[in-house]
Amino acid sequence: MATRAGALSYLAWRALVAHPLRRLFRRRGTGLERFRAAYVAEGLGPTTPEDRAVGEAASACVACGLCELGCELAGAVPAVRALGLHAAFRLYSRSAAGLPLAAAALEACAGCAGCDALCPTGVPIARIVRHLRAKALAGRDPPVREG
Amino acid sequence: MVSPRAVAAEVLVVGGGMAGTIAALAAREAGARVVLVRRAPGATALSSGAVGVAPDPFALPGEPLRAARGPLEAARRLARLRPDHPYAVLGDRLEALPDALAFATRALAPLLAPPLERPRFLATSFGTAVPAALCQRSQAAGDLLAVGGALVVAGLAGHLGLDAALVAASLERYRARGGPPTFAVEVDAGLGELGLLRPHELARRLEQPGAAEALGAAIRAALPAGAGAVLVAPVLGLRPEAQVPERVAGAAGIAVAELLADVPSMPGVRLQAALEAALAAAGVEVVQGAIQGATGPGAPIAAGATEITAARWVLATGRFVGGGIARRGTLREPALGLPVQAAEGREAGVDLAARPAASLTGAARVGPQPLLSAGLRVDARLRPLDARGRPAAEGLHAAGAVVGGHEHASDGTGLGVAILTGYLAGRAAARPGGGE
Ligand SMILES: Cc1cc2nc3c(=O)[nH]c(=O)nc-3n(C[C@H](O)[C@H](O)[C@H](O)COP(=O)(O)OP(=O)(O)OC[C@H]3O[C@@H](n4cnc5c(N)ncnc54)[C@H](O)[C@@H]3O)c2cc1C
Ligand code: SF4
Ligand code: SF4
Repeated sequence: MATRAGALSYLAWRALVAHPLRRLFRRRGTGLERFRAAYVAEGLGPTTPEDRAVGEAASACVACGLCELGCELAGAVPAVRALGLHAAFRLYSRSAAGLPLAAAALEACAGCAGCDALCPTGVPIARIVRHLRAKALAGRDPPVREG
Repeated sequence: MVSPRAVAAEVLVVGGGMAGTIAALAAREAGARVVLVRRAPGATALSSGAVGVAPDPFALPGEPLRAARGPLEAARRLARLRPDHPYAVLGDRLEALPDALAFATRALAPLLAPPLERPRFLATSFGTAVPAALCQRSQAAGDLLAVGGALVVAGLAGHLGLDAALVAASLERYRARGGPPTFAVEVDAGLGELGLLRPHELARRLEQPGAAEALGAAIRAALPAGAGAVLVAPVLGLRPEAQVPERVAGAAGIAVAELLADVPSMPGVRLQAALEAALAAAGVEVVQGAIQGATGPGAPIAAGATEITAARWVLATGRFVGGGIARRGTLREPALGLPVQAAEGREAGVDLAARPAASLTGAARVGPQPLLSAGLRVDARLRPLDARGRPAAEGLHAAGAVVGGHEHASDGTGLGVAILTGYLAGRAAARPGGGE
């Protein structure tokens, strides 16, 4: 009950105080700028052409697991080990908001490009992993390893 | 930009799976100079590693396993029922099937077991048995008809990838058809924490000195009385030369066989490795790269940093997994832009293939699925046909899953078609004019 009351008063506070105040003092700007200000922090920024290209390339994956045979990342990260290397990009590339969950896995990529030549369907795995990693780590400390 | 290295050959094979490799080896044996271009591993590396030639369409459900017909007779029967199937399209050339299978067995001798007159019945990780005309040596002892005594399914303690009890219980139902009694045991080979290991990691671990022997010893200790053979998970090594199956069986003191694998399939990976070793041994030059937008045999074509000129080509680019047929809204053949045909029931046609790919599937699980059998249409000499039914290009042959008319990944004829069509296309391409 307490949590319900808490949630309702939080909503009331947002609706009656925070939101009107924000509207009153909001930064002017184009719709895109305001969209970015509101959503990028939550990982829901606009889809760039590069994002779309990467998403399309990743969709050619048939989850066969052959790429793992040449991949250091696949052996390093328990979640990837259980689900397969493709999980690192297939599961998370669909949802920008979920991407931070994959950051640790993506960070383990050694940039060795052992994967690409093993993929039957021609998924540019190393490029996808590099792109998603840059996205997942944006705003955090820059990655140590070179992609 | 580096100028490409120029290579001239008599035969260019595009594709490095079962069909392309057998075509290259057959053309090589016929005396031709052969170059093979491949982009990556294809469906061959995903297969169970056992060769399905033809399930007998007239076999009755309860029929004794022993009554099964040999591969040629089963293929003839299948050809009668399915006029679009490559076995039917080949006409009389289907009779070359035993030669083609013998050729493949010779070329892959260290890996493949010698064929029998009848198919072997091999168990999958789900506890079903499927007929295989050829199989790897590591799979042969699991033939349900060859086990002298009880068949023991050995699970690895702590490994979540195989449910030995389920497999053994499911295999029991083949007893009524002449299969062996089956039991499950669990063995602890002291290989460490296995729960999360992926098949390739287990396979690598078993390649280590002593590991295969430890598994063998653990199996020996767990054997019930009356055991005739042991089935284990399909993880007995990645490299054929590591000889993991032989080492395990030696230490176990009993015949040990792998179950047929789901993807990722380590026996499939070993099959692909054996194909590559056979190409190297036969002196076929292998070029890593992809061919796109080609006009056809005769004209130079770029693949990676190499430019290849050959008067005769074998297109063995596979289906959706290999990349020979692409699904971009509609169906396309990317290497040469040949028309793709899809069949619905008895009528094959280009029109169907021009429809959105998503409309080429049916809801009935057992009904025809035009999408799954879509591919090139060929004549009896394996020459791809254009939209009007004439040979599309001089000196061009096709082999394997790129040829349509069979649901290669699910109808039990995939690697068999690849071997037969690869053998015939390779031999035809080795001769100027492609004649007999
Ligand atoms: C998951 C799965 C499991 C299967 N299991 C079995 C089984 O247990 N038994 C069985 O008999 N059959 C099985 N099949 C079917 C069988 O694997 C295939 O029918 C057979 O391997 C096809 O061989 P292929 O050589 O024609 O094609 P692939 O093995 O797919 O080879 C195609 C080759 O062409 C190359 N290529 C494609 N396009 C280009 C290009 N433009 N330039 C250069 N190279 C190119 C690819 O990189 C690849 O090397 C299975 C299929 C699948 C998908
Ligand atoms: S580049 Fe990254 S994803 Fe590819 S094989 Fe190397 S570690 Fe794995
Ligand atoms: S090899 Fe390619 S298709 Fe297979 S799991 Fe890896 S990315 Fe996906």
